[in-house]
Amino acid sequence: MTSSLTDLRRDVEDFLYREAKMLDEQRYDEWLGLFTEDVRYWMPITETREVRQPRDHVPGEWALMEEDSRFLAKRMERLAGGLAHAEQPRSRTRRFISNVLVTPGPDDDLMAECNFIVFQSRRANSEQFFVGSRRDRIVTSGENWKIAERTVLLDHRVLPRAISIFF
Amino acid sequence: MTSISERPTDVVSAGLHDLVKPDEGVVSRTVFVDEAIYRTELDRVFTRTWLFIGHESQLREPGDYLTNFMGEDPVIATRGADGGIRVMLNSCAHRGMAVCTTDAGTSKFFRCPYHGWTYSNNGDLIGVPRADTVYNGELDKSRLGLKAVPRVETYKGFVFANWDENAIPLVDYLGADQLWYLDLAFEAPLGGLEVIGPTMKFRIKGNWKLAAENFAGDDYHVLYTHGSAFQIGFLPDYDMLADYIANFDHGHGMGDISKPGRAYQNDVGMAQFLGPEAIEYVTAVHERLQARVSPLQAEMHGLGEGNIFPNLSWIKFGVFHVFGLFQWHPKGPGEMEVWQTSFFDSAAPQSVKDFARTQMSQENAAAGIFGQDDGENFEQITESARGFVSQTRDFNYAMGLGHEGEVHEEGYPGRLGPHFSEQNHRNFYRYWLELMTTQGEQK
Repeated sequence: MTSSLTDLRRDVEDFLYREAKMLDEQRYDEWLGLFTEDVRYWMPITETREVRQPRDHVPGEWALMEEDSRFLAKRMERLAGGLAHAEQPRSRTRRFISNVLVTPGPDDDLMAECNFIVFQSRRANSEQFFVGSRRDRIVTSGENWKIAERTVLLDHRVLPRAISIFF
Repeated sequence: MTSISERPTDVVSAGLHDLVKPDEGVVSRTVFVDEAIYRTELDRVFTRTWLFIGHESQLREPGDYLTNFMGEDPVIATRGADGGIRVMLNSCAHRGMAVCTTDAGTSKFFRCPYHGWTYSNNGDLIGVPRADTVYNGELDKSRLGLKAVPRVETYKGFVFANWDENAIPLVDYLGADQLWYLDLAFEAPLGGLEVIGPTMKFRIKGNWKLAAENFAGDDYHVLYTHGSAFQIGFLPDYDMLADYIANFDHGHGMGDISKPGRAYQNDVGMAQFLGPEAIEYVTAVHERLQARVSPLQAEMHGLGEGNIFPNLSWIKFGVFHVFGLFQWHPKGPGEMEVWQTSFFDSAAPQSVKDFARTQMSQENAAAGIFGQDDGENFEQITESARGFVSQTRDFNYAMGLGHEGEVHEEGYPGRLGPHFSEQNHRNFYRYWLELMTTQGEQK
């Protein structure tokens, strides 16, 4: 690995850590600002398949989340409205990001892969971990880096709980 | 006929009439947390009713299989070489190991990972390692197949199974009145319904009945539980959407039923927002309905949501909404596993498919804004039902009590009620109580 790519990885790690902190601190407006206007946010459904069955997710298949920036903003508006009962009161969350790998993407974009563990604690005794990986396309050409594509792959076949937090 | 288990359960059932009084609008919290009542449900409810297994589009070719649950019993559904669909217990006759551990696929046989006993995909035991020596050639393989579910029937592509070999036919269990409505979902698609992706699965630490009764016609909760959806403009004014609820024999219930013409008008409005392809699509679907169902059904055009007793809920608003199925699989009295499968018209334009698919993920799904808030309710209700004093306070299902039968819409079958009523809950628990306190054939 060249030193420039190592530097780049450090920058991407820094970007992803700051993002995780925003979510853990519920600074949702700032978080929304990390995405491009035309972002594609995709969280497909994980299956248990036979060894010889292909694992690729097909674009167009029904997913856990398939959003544009407009609906991500709607979700934030919902949280702010006081009637989002699944997050009233807010969950406590702690995000751990690791195994960051960076490769050059199209134009000046960066492709960043990482693993994550997210701990969620709700009310008194609802606690769970969500574990998975992410693949982002980060646009670096503007003033601030922005995420233009995010694919979230959860490793769970059966989710421990409905999802009221963000990945 | 009797239920699968001949174990006496009268200790449990004798007290149930004191705990569940549908005609008074009262249900004890005990039935949502009690282990003995739960075990009785697995027997008397889940081995005597028709349970959803899958859709024929998931079992297209001989050898195709999928796995599911009937109550807490794991099952495999297969399409055999003869083209027939069979459902069998996913449990080796030798020591009970699951013989299939994937969601779906294609295979001519299932081999138990423990000792290698091998079953054909019609359930016959066809291979036992070293059978000639270790069993001295005395093992009667013909008696050791996978346990078959005796009744498997389909309605318009939807496969159901029933452990009760003397059960009434599926079509009679669902009932003509309920099917009058549901047929709109099955007859409208231009190219037929197809599964649009994997089954979504998640846990809710709540009793399964809370989800079932909710979809059976608890339209009242939409106003506040889903208040955020109105707040952010995800839904129009709720009174614009629907007018009635209805219930049917065998505990089935349905909500968000609209007066003739309303659903079509709502779809036309939506189509104008979505664009020319959507306008063409809603027109084509409406013409197809006019050709295939009665004039009144065609005028009704769209549905809402409902629950097919015991634990299969569905949702289907207008033509731009997927047909969504929810199985509330019981996992003990205090937990359910939601299996959610979505279907859409295979011949719809891509832009309409894209809209319907993403809207469902955002709405009634694991990360949807409706799904999250419903789950929160079911969890905390179940938690509250565990307290000693709490259990002395019955749940209240009194809305509309004494006013049933007052609502009428010419030509609409079933027992109609106003948009906001708990008549469907009472209907659900009336049939639940009947099953729980009797053995033998359902009426």
